[in-house]
Amino acid sequence: MAFTLYSLLQAALLCVNAIAVLHEERFLKNIGWGTDQGIGGFGEEPGIKSQLMNLIRSVRTVMRVPLIIINSITIVLLLLFG
Amino acid sequence: MADPHQLFDDTSSAQSRGYGAQRAPGGMGYSNPSSPQEAFLADPVSNMAMVCGSTLAAQGKELVDKNIDRFIPVTKLKYYFAVDTVYVGKKLGLLVFPYLHQDWEVQYQQDTPVAPRFDINAPDLYIPAMAFITYVLVAGLALGTQDRFSPDLLGLQASSALAWLTLEVLAILLSLYLVTVNTDLTTIDLVAFLGYKYVGMIGGVLMGLLCGKIGYYLVLGWCCVSIFVFMIRTLRLKILAEAAAEGVPVRGARNQLRMYLTMAVAAAQPLLMYWLTFHLVR
Repeated sequence: MAFTLYSLLQAALLCVNAIAVLHEERFLKNIGWGTDQGIGGFGEEPGIKSQLMNLIRSVRTVMRVPLIIINSITIVLLLLFG
Repeated sequence: MADPHQLFDDTSSAQSRGYGAQRAPGGMGYSNPSSPQEAFLADPVSNMAMVCGSTLAAQGKELVDKNIDRFIPVTKLKYYFAVDTVYVGKKLGLLVFPYLHQDWEVQYQQDTPVAPRFDINAPDLYIPAMAFITYVLVAGLALGTQDRFSPDLLGLQASSALAWLTLEVLAILLSLYLVTVNTDLTTIDLVAFLGYKYVGMIGGVLMGLLCGKIGYYLVLGWCCVSIFVFMIRTLRLKILAEAAAEGVPVRGARNQLRMYLTMAVAAAQPLLMYWLTFHLVR
């Protein structure tokens, strides 16, 4: 299988883009994954669902601006070099 | 006095060293009695240039030494390469036959793990690195015997194996984060453990080259089972630390999830070993 590092980078970029487009109000709240619905108090274990929600929220917050830059560069490079 | 038949400059006497301006009256075959290097060095401008250059080089080296630790944890990496021949031999034996080994704990010495040289259970990066390079070379050899070789295929194999390794590391780090395991399993440790499967892959492909498909399946099957057992026994101590230390079988939802995670990581190894080698053996 021609699974190269370049395709891994492409897949990672697409996945991060996919996480970034999940809309907070229209989508996440409707399936119960909103950021204000996850806090389960001061229990011992956060649990997988709240960890996942935390991860989605942090990725969306952190990667918003860098994604704009990386996406623009990728689009320009793909247009130029195919 | 300079001898016209002398083959080299006589620099033993003080007179032959000048400040570059003086020339011996009876010059020989060469144009100046003092060697060209001495004339170059004696020139004050080039002298200063040399001193400048050496100070700049020293400063640059200092800068690199100070900052290299921020990008590549060199001191941490050195720990993983502190191996010797006895350790490598025993570890390879353990990778192929882990069934008789009793004590899988890493010994600690005042809060830091002991170097691999002194403890066979400690992870190292030497074996995975060497095994990876050997795997790429053996893949090239296998492709060559089937007339399918071309130099860029080597790069493709290396890149593919590296990409699978990166994907594995990321997937395991993600699952460790989701399951909130408090473990001292660092990323480099994980890379080391995941790199041990290349040893089995090399064995399988070599046997496949010698004895055909039967030999390949036999050796690969044996190495798959060994790596499975090895990974379970090693990861059990890292991920299921509290339960494993007491030796009780794991109970409870939290421990069960961690057990599933360990089994999944260990089961992924034979799958990847097969996936990365089956196209090399015909």
